[in-house]
Amino acid sequence: MLTPTTAIRIAGLTVRFGEVLAVDDASIDVEPGEFVSIVGPSGCGKTTILNLLTGLVPLESGEISILGKRPVAGNPDIAYMLARDSLLPWRSALGNASYGLEVRGVPREAREAKARQLLARVGLADFEHHWPKQLSHGMRQRAALARTFCLDAPVLLMDEPFGALDAQTKLQLEDLLLELWNAERRTVVFITHDLAEAVALSDRVVVMSARPGRIVEQMPIDLPRPRSVRTLQKSHEFHDIYSDLWEALEAGMKGAPAALQ
Amino acid sequence: MKASWTEIVAHGAFIAVCLALWEWGARTQYLPQTFFGSPIGIAAYLWEGFAVSKKLWHELGYTVAGTLISFLLGSVAAIALGLAFAMFPKLEHAMDPYLAVLNAMPRIALAPLFLLWFGLGIGSKVAVGTSLAFFIVLANTVAGIRGVSQDHIVLSRAMGATRSQIFFKVTLPSAVPVIFSGLRLALIFSMLGVIGAEIIAAEHGLGQVLSYLQSTFNMNGVMGLLLLLACLGMIVTRGMSRLERALLKWQ
Ligand SMILES: Nc1ncnc2c1ncn2[C@@H]1O[C@H](COP(=O)(O)OP(=O)(O)OP(=O)(O)O)[C@@H](O)[C@H]1O
Ligand SMILES: [Mg+2]
Repeated sequence: MLTPTTAIRIAGLTVRFGEVLAVDDASIDVEPGEFVSIVGPSGCGKTTILNLLTGLVPLESGEISILGKRPVAGNPDIAYMLARDSLLPWRSALGNASYGLEVRGVPREAREAKARQLLARVGLADFEHHWPKQLSHGMRQRAALARTFCLDAPVLLMDEPFGALDAQTKLQLEDLLLELWNAERRTVVFITHDLAEAVALSDRVVVMSARPGRIVEQMPIDLPRPRSVRTLQKSHEFHDIYSDLWEALEAGMKGAPAALQ
Repeated sequence: MKASWTEIVAHGAFIAVCLALWEWGARTQYLPQTFFGSPIGIAAYLWEGFAVSKKLWHELGYTVAGTLISFLLGSVAAIALGLAFAMFPKLEHAMDPYLAVLNAMPRIALAPLFLLWFGLGIGSKVAVGTSLAFFIVLANTVAGIRGVSQDHIVLSRAMGATRSQIFFKVTLPSAVPVIFSGLRLALIFSMLGVIGAEIIAAEHGLGQVLSYLQSTFNMNGVMGLLLLLACLGMIVTRGMSRLERALLKWQ
């Protein structure tokens, strides 16, 4: 039932690592341009789902399609961003921002022009020749955002990209992400432990249970766009959705009956 | 770390006092010259060797050449093998026990064997030096390659990097600092191996001169050469650290 309005389709996904049942019968459909967050207790299989989407972990049971194609490592439709900035320390900000394009064989002139453009958009125009060690945490994560958006991939997979940042910097980067995303409306699957972040950024939040990870709730977030994460902090609506989400997560925390593990 | 002027003056004064006490001890026989030499005697020996007869230059040349050749041979071979291990893990698995046995051998003890095989010329000391440098650099190359960040690999693979792209753009650059610290150590050990081999037997080299001076109880010569070797070792490590800082600005 692959409709043209589906960008990512995950159906009946079950993942086992040996004896461990990591993900149990998960189904998620993401529309093109939709921003979907996945929240759930640690170890419930969030990263595993992303790794399956990128084709880094082989699919054994269930169905996955990304823009109508099966997952495959190096899929040019996907840009991946990790929790730690994972910038290459021996490359300048510019070298890091253009790394993905370099790997994909884009000639130097073109990739550096594009990377400069992105560095400017994330506020690092003056730092292109800095080494990662010379950048603050927040700046490194900005550079990682530049690298991710530099790929021009229609699908973005982000695994707790702001998880290691302090609260203040986090808000700034969330707004930056929304700004970048608003301009081009890519399809985003965003993993986080931070419910406020999930509510503020997403069109929909998928809640998973403790291992084996199951989907216990898919909550649409009907906050108007464009949003400002910082303004949202003061909105009642935002806090109502936040507490509903908390309840859904708490219910999921209790996990599945032991017999299934 | 820049020493300030006051520090330099303080160190200078301290050393001058020590040398004066030493010289005084030597002249009053509290520090017998047969065992300790004397500062003026040492200076005279070095002056004679380097400025008058100039024969120490010649010996120094042999030692330095032996050290550099050992270092280059050992390091290049080790890095090449280390990279081969990274590309073919089965090769590493297969060679590991043999390398472990070879590495466990006290290399200086092999010197008499190498002397027999390669003669009293530069060949035998290069063999000792190379065998020391090789294993140090190999161990560091392997460790450096193993230490590559899994995040970088995952990210690169997700972006579609090929195996060889990952190797050249991620694995290798991330291993370079570890390889470099191996190289620094290997240079010192090449020198150690070369001098050790020269002491055991050689036609030329500072080690050979040292062992001759020692057997003739020329303590001023022995002390002078020890001082020279310490300086040489320091120059070598300083130079490597400089090179490292210049090449690895990103660290
Ligand atoms: N390569 C692997 N081999 C064996 N087990 C694995 C592997 N990868 C993940 N697992 C297991 O699968 C489960 C889900 O792991 P995953 O990393 O997807 O969790 P997560 O939801 O991302 O957790 P966190 O929020 O802490 O990042 C865990 O129990 C983990 O131990
Ligand atoms: Mg995870």
